[in-house]
Amino acid sequence: MTAAVLPALSNLSTLPAAFQASEVNYVAVMPLFIVFVTALIGVLVEAFMPRERRHRVQVSVAVGGLLAAAVSIFWASSNLGLTMGLSDGSTNRSLFALAIDGPALFLQGAILLMGILGVLTMAERFGGVGPDAFTPSGASTPGSPVETAATRAGALTSEVFPLTVFAIFGMMLFPTTNDLIGMFVALEVLSLPLYILTGLARRRRLLSQEASLKYFLLGAFSSAFFLFGTALLYGYAGSVYFGDLSSAISTAPLAMNGLLLPGAFLVFVGLLFKVGAVPFHAWTPDVYQGAPTPVTGFMAACTKAAAFGAILRLAYVGLDTARWEWSNALVIVALLTMVVGSVLSVTQTDMKRLLAYSSIAHAGFILVGVLAFDRTGVGAVLFYIVAYGFSTIAAFAIVSLVRQNGAEATHLSQWAGLGKAHPVAASAFAFLMLAFAGIPLTSGFVSKFAVFSAAVGSGATGTVLAVVGVLCSAITVFVYARVIVLMFFSEAPAEKVEVVTPSAMTTFSIAIGTLTTLALGVVPASLLDLADRASQFVR
Amino acid sequence: MTSSAEAAGFWILAPIAVIAALGLLFARKAVHAALGVALVMVILGIFYIMQNADFLGVVQVFVYTGAVMMLFLFVLMLVGVDSSDSVVETIKGQRWASLLLVVGLAGLLFFTIGATVVDEKTVQAGIDKVVATNADPGNITGVAELIFGQYVWIFEVTSALLITAALGAMVLAHRERLTPRITQAEWAAKRVRDNRDVAGLPAPGVYARHNAVDTPALLPDGTPSSKSVSRVLVARDQVATTDSLRDVERHMEREIEEGGAK
Repeated sequence: MTAAVLPALSNLSTLPAAFQASEVNYVAVMPLFIVFVTALIGVLVEAFMPRERRHRVQVSVAVGGLLAAAVSIFWASSNLGLTMGLSDGSTNRSLFALAIDGPALFLQGAILLMGILGVLTMAERFGGVGPDAFTPSGASTPGSPVETAATRAGALTSEVFPLTVFAIFGMMLFPTTNDLIGMFVALEVLSLPLYILTGLARRRRLLSQEASLKYFLLGAFSSAFFLFGTALLYGYAGSVYFGDLSSAISTAPLAMNGLLLPGAFLVFVGLLFKVGAVPFHAWTPDVYQGAPTPVTGFMAACTKAAAFGAILRLAYVGLDTARWEWSNALVIVALLTMVVGSVLSVTQTDMKRLLAYSSIAHAGFILVGVLAFDRTGVGAVLFYIVAYGFSTIAAFAIVSLVRQNGAEATHLSQWAGLGKAHPVAASAFAFLMLAFAGIPLTSGFVSKFAVFSAAVGSGATGTVLAVVGVLCSAITVFVYARVIVLMFFSEAPAEKVEVVTPSAMTTFSIAIGTLTTLALGVVPASLLDLADRASQFVR
Repeated sequence: MTSSAEAAGFWILAPIAVIAALGLLFARKAVHAALGVALVMVILGIFYIMQNADFLGVVQVFVYTGAVMMLFLFVLMLVGVDSSDSVVETIKGQRWASLLLVVGLAGLLFFTIGATVVDEKTVQAGIDKVVATNADPGNITGVAELIFGQYVWIFEVTSALLITAALGAMVLAHRERLTPRITQAEWAAKRVRDNRDVAGLPAPGVYARHNAVDTPALLPDGTPSSKSVSRVLVARDQVATTDSLRDVERHMEREIEEGGAK
């Protein structure tokens, strides 16, 4: 026995050290930790807090935790670099799971602030017991006596708050991960809560459940594409880390390209699905329409931020050296996304679907910035994400206030003449529409100008993209102008449509969203400057 | 290099795996599709073991064929073994269009990935490394070192996924009890108060050849009593007919009559 063990022991010195623990820079990952712990506290509150106090406590825990995480980004910003992994001494590679750099922290901050506004709109109760947008009993059959009994007994689905915080955790992680496996896990962490939240609307529950199922199935397919691509890229580079991938592309033999190209395309499919780029957009209108309206706003703003962060990192850090192989495909996707998104938004008759197609068009505009392939492009994309996110959360919050007989009035005809009866809400909405259209003095103009000028600066393809982008913007101006005309210059429908007076929380998020849209349109310099300074990726 | 034993194993098992995977796509019955998946998973486990990844191979069989497949089968049983997909096209021409796209994508992937030439030396170096790792820290220890060392962050983040899944299952499937539970004594008092079924509902029929819960009891006039079977079975149309029982009864009556006539 001893004799058999001895030779093995003598070999030990030639093999790598037995166990190497991950190096962790706790200050750099503090925002992520705080959000994760907040979600866990939310789960515990759900388990132990009596029902009457649950709503108030859940909202305070979520908002408090997100605020603390947002503050901790200041400390993290002085600890930039790779973390959560180890350096392989023998091959001189750095195997780190997280890249704490400018784009990552900028997007984390943006997602946290937009997430706070999202949580505040979700918390709207309109004097009821639980959050107004969410069903009191997700397990009951829509329209069944059980559902009515649950409403009467004062049941509430306050689980939505920990679920939202989990989604925010995944979203913050998505642009921060430095390897494909981590990116896949982050993709799932952010998607799973969204699938559940989508199916919990209080009104028109069948529509909501259908949307949830659709989102889940298509999301599962896109995750499978991402994973398949990851496997191929791992086969190509022998590593899942973006740094290794990038250096493998410049050194690997050409005969291996059969793994690189399908891998890169399939991974991009998974990411482009999340931003709703054409032809992976089919879920967007249905899910945006079916989901509870505050969730739609949150999803439109934060998922887009997270997914574009991940696309940026993959395009600029992981697959940058193979750019000539895949950028043409992305150019086609960007063109299709802009054209289909803006043309189809013309034909919409439902406000939520209209905003969904508008978000598809915006995804195309942001992709134009991604395809600029330089630092100004990254800065423009970061700015666009923030500008669009704040506007869209406010817009969906206003949509959730317009009611007819207690139900949300989302059909366009119901919005006719809203400007006369409710000038404040209608003006705010009209202003946000102008921002979506990209009219000067709104954040939409500055962000579109930034991405298009970055694209023009990058060469001929970028110029074509920018020209198509401007034309598509012109199409969408028509759509938004039609909504404004409808609100201010049309006769109101026979049945009364009202704007419900919201609580301070929703008012706050609408006000902040609208004011940010205005401020970024009038004095965009400080955020543009910050986005520009944050546009350097760490490798 | 691939040993001849490994090559033989691969060429025998791989076609079976492909056939089973195609069975998943084309099987009419959900159970057959599930069995196809199980076969694919077992063969993948064998492949992993052949590639010196013992732990992964065993876990593959345990987790996928054991846990995940059982879950599939549970769901199938809940949905109903007999239920099959609707084959009606909601969008006209969708099937041909998707077939065209699927064949196109499959062909594209097949030819691009198939055209890849892998460097023999790199592959051999990888295999050597696996063999060396298996020999010294051991297969399981090696996996543990990766999970708790280099990939610890991903391992921890997966917990967020599990908590979300548990929370989501509770939200979507758990019905909170909103009214106090009625005790047995209260039920009995209610029966007496309403003066209906005071002695409780009749038991299912007990016959010489049948005594299952789906066999209704017969009333004195020979008609089945609907109260004696669960209303769930009635709703699902799973109640056994009593005609065969009546046949036996009639046969006996005839025999008695014949006996009396003699």
